[in-house]
Amino acid sequence: MAQGFRRSGRGGQRRFVATLDAQERSVVASLMAQVRDLLEPPQGPGTGDAAFDDLVAGLTLAEGGEGQEAASLEAGERDPALDRLLPAAHREDEGAAAEFRRLTEGGLRHRKGSALAASAAVLGDGDRVALDEPQAHAFLTALTDVRLVLGERLGLRADEDHERLEVAADALGADDPLVHALALYDFLTWLQETLTEALLRS
Amino acid sequence: MSLAPVTEEVLRPAEDVAPDVPWVTIVWNDPVNLMSYVTFVLQQHFGYAREKAEELMIKVHTEGRAVVATGRREAMEADTEALHGWGLWATFQKDA
Repeated sequence: MAQGFRRSGRGGQRRFVATLDAQERSVVASLMAQVRDLLEPPQGPGTGDAAFDDLVAGLTLAEGGEGQEAASLEAGERDPALDRLLPAAHREDEGAAAEFRRLTEGGLRHRKGSALAASAAVLGDGDRVALDEPQAHAFLTALTDVRLVLGERLGLRADEDHERLEVAADALGADDPLVHALALYDFLTWLQETLTEALLRS
Repeated sequence: MSLAPVTEEVLRPAEDVAPDVPWVTIVWNDPVNLMSYVTFVLQQHFGYAREKAEELMIKVHTEGRAVVATGRREAMEADTEALHGWGLWATFQKDA
């Protein structure tokens, strides 16, 4: 049974410690690795996030009606999940948004990728996950980026969508991909909440 | 000698350098980012006190958006980039 993050120790010895079993660590690390792959600079067609597609295969959120699986993207089309990780920085001025993207996107992809890789690596060290403060910050951004991508795949667009999905999931079997993806999303939300609260209190 | 007025653009300062028109950084509501996390990021990045960060977070949540910083365009772009690094939905624009 997982135990969320708590602060442990003081000063330079301060750590943020959670207990996650091997399966939980493996799932979270795998999601982090997949989002990292998604953030790799584009190398032409055929570099979709196939593993993520497998995870959420069959997710068709009928109410949303758009069925935005990455697999259905035309070659060269930007994955909508990337627009959640690297959103447009100006809402009216497309030129300013494009210039901002040109100047910042490479660096942001690199920094996010590094945080995801470092956080996935920490999860390989055993059930006791102990982070110093910089590691905790990286872990928070990594969890955020995974949740942004998973949220996009689940069709979360507005605050009330999560509740709508829970209702939909209640009517489905436990082995339905939507139920599985929503459970993962909720687990990551809980984990992030415990780490954020531990940091806010310190 | 022409009596035509001097061309207009000479008289009008470029938007970007108008000193009395600051730029703003805006954070938009999104269904993924946690309220506690938005508060934490605003404290971390801007050094805001917990109270001010929470006030801004509530504004984002209830009104859909909040201006979280005001200043020169370059500074607002830097804020926006940093907030994207944290995963928040941030934009910059000239203050309306």
